[in-house]
Amino acid sequence: MARERLHWPSIRAVMRKDLSAVGRSKAIVLPMLIVPFLMLVVLPTVIGLAARSQTNIDVSRFLSNIPGDLARPILRLPVREQLIVLVNGYLLAPLFLIVPLMVSAVLAADAFAGEKERRTLESLLHLPIAERDLFVAKLLTAFVPAVLLSWIGFVCFALVTNTVAWPVMHRIFVPTKLWLVMIFWVAPGVAALGLGVMVRVSARARTTQEANQLGGAVILPLIFLAVGQASGLLLVDIWIALVVGAFVWVIAVWLCSRGAHRFTRDQLAARL
Amino acid sequence: MNAAIEAHELSRTFGPTVALDGLSFELQAGEVLALLGPNGAGKTTTVRLLNGVLRPDRGGARVLGLDPVTDGEALRRRTGVLTENAGLDDRLTARENLTFVARIRGLEGRDGERRVDELLGRFGMSDRAGDKVQGFSTGQRKRLALARALLHDPEVLFLDEPTSGLDPAATRDVIDLIGSLATEHGRTVVLCTHFLPEAGRLAHRMAVLHGGHLEAFGRPDELAAELWDGLEADVDLGAPIDDRTTALVAALDGVTAATATADGVRVRVRDREVLAALVALLVGREVPVYGAVPRVPTLEDVYFAIEERKERDRGA
Repeated sequence: MARERLHWPSIRAVMRKDLSAVGRSKAIVLPMLIVPFLMLVVLPTVIGLAARSQTNIDVSRFLSNIPGDLARPILRLPVREQLIVLVNGYLLAPLFLIVPLMVSAVLAADAFAGEKERRTLESLLHLPIAERDLFVAKLLTAFVPAVLLSWIGFVCFALVTNTVAWPVMHRIFVPTKLWLVMIFWVAPGVAALGLGVMVRVSARARTTQEANQLGGAVILPLIFLAVGQASGLLLVDIWIALVVGAFVWVIAVWLCSRGAHRFTRDQLAARL
Repeated sequence: MNAAIEAHELSRTFGPTVALDGLSFELQAGEVLALLGPNGAGKTTTVRLLNGVLRPDRGGARVLGLDPVTDGEALRRRTGVLTENAGLDDRLTARENLTFVARIRGLEGRDGERRVDELLGRFGMSDRAGDKVQGFSTGQRKRLALARALLHDPEVLFLDEPTSGLDPAATRDVIDLIGSLATEHGRTVVLCTHFLPEAGRLAHRMAVLHGGHLEAFGRPDELAAELWDGLEADVDLGAPIDDRTTALVAALDGVTAATATADGVRVRVRDREVLAALVALLVGREVPVYGAVPRVPTLEDVYFAIEERKERDRGA
């Protein structure tokens, strides 16, 4: 690829076009809004309301099954606070990572494989836009909304969680420092990882559905499981969180850079 | 004159499939080239190679003096392409599809908007400018895609089936437009098409591809001269020719073929003098002759003759 500077007007034009088109597709937009809403608004609300109810829900038996380092700070809390802190402070963390992973994967599939499916790729390749600019535009089309939606979702989550749990907690307990690492370091890394996977998958897939099936049904759940397992550790120690985040970023950057090498007009046109 | 397009031994394979094998030709600025051949002949591959979308395995090309491999981006700023399927985003409106390309081509702001409006108007799409392309007919898509290809007033146009899906009036308009782009504005056009009459009306040169090989290249009349000796003419006798008169015509010195038609006979003769002698002979034998019109082979005739020759060669 050329080593010239990125041509931002072209990149912006492609992003604008792709995001305008995606914004009109209910099949893409609705899941991207409903899933975060359920996980980051409805679930913490239900948990908060349950904790506020008169019935004390004892989670100590559950906590006895999880690693001591994770359970100890929760066990020190009053019983009524334990459920809220356990679920909203800890167990939702891996679920939260579904948002950047899902959004980036869905948008990347639309941006890369979708061009083939809609038969718009060839006319795009005949335009005077550098391969690198086109690749960057497609990456950003998926990455930027994924990260923004995650951040907006987290702000909603923090507001809902703290508000609903206030009568029990009497303090703001989300975000913690570890949650901030999760939001600003791990979540964008996970978005990039989902993107990297879909870039590779989309190179072979002929339709968005094929890319989603390959990436969404096979590879991403495995990544999600790995990240989910790791996120328990993330909330134990800030350094572990940073290291796990860095690991995710390294894999994501490697996948994207491999994808970039294959993202040439010649290779794309040869598969048309 | 400077060649607008030069291809030299241009070749490309996809795995075991030879898509194009040693294509060489030269096209002058302002000329229309009809790139003809059956499906899979290599027409689309040729366009992709000439516009720097594909890289050749062997050989090379220069388009507007630029190498498509090394100067692809600069070249694509000066070329316009209409792909076989219109390649429009169904989820965007007609205007948005054009505006996107205008932005990529550096036509920003008011200039871009003005140009988009101008082309929407020129192709009769102003009233559908704000509608999503999803509901458009094939003809409307084709017109919009043509407008997109012309946004930046390109010097070279690659048009793949520009009239497929268009109604007769729109077809005529597009053909007139392509003709005027070449003749009045000096634009070079490479026209891939299966519609031979349309190619015949527009093309200064024709190239016939078959299985990636160039079977013929040149002006249709030059190729006709290579294919056939002498002159073909329709002799109008007011009725189909009878066997006795056919034998009389065929026996005349200089007549190489005689075939009955609905109105008389189609003959192939050595030259115009033989045609005059033939008319005199028929009149002398009191056979009424209402007319004798030399028939200039059409591009269609030339194309099918080349295809037949190809089949004969394959049989041999």
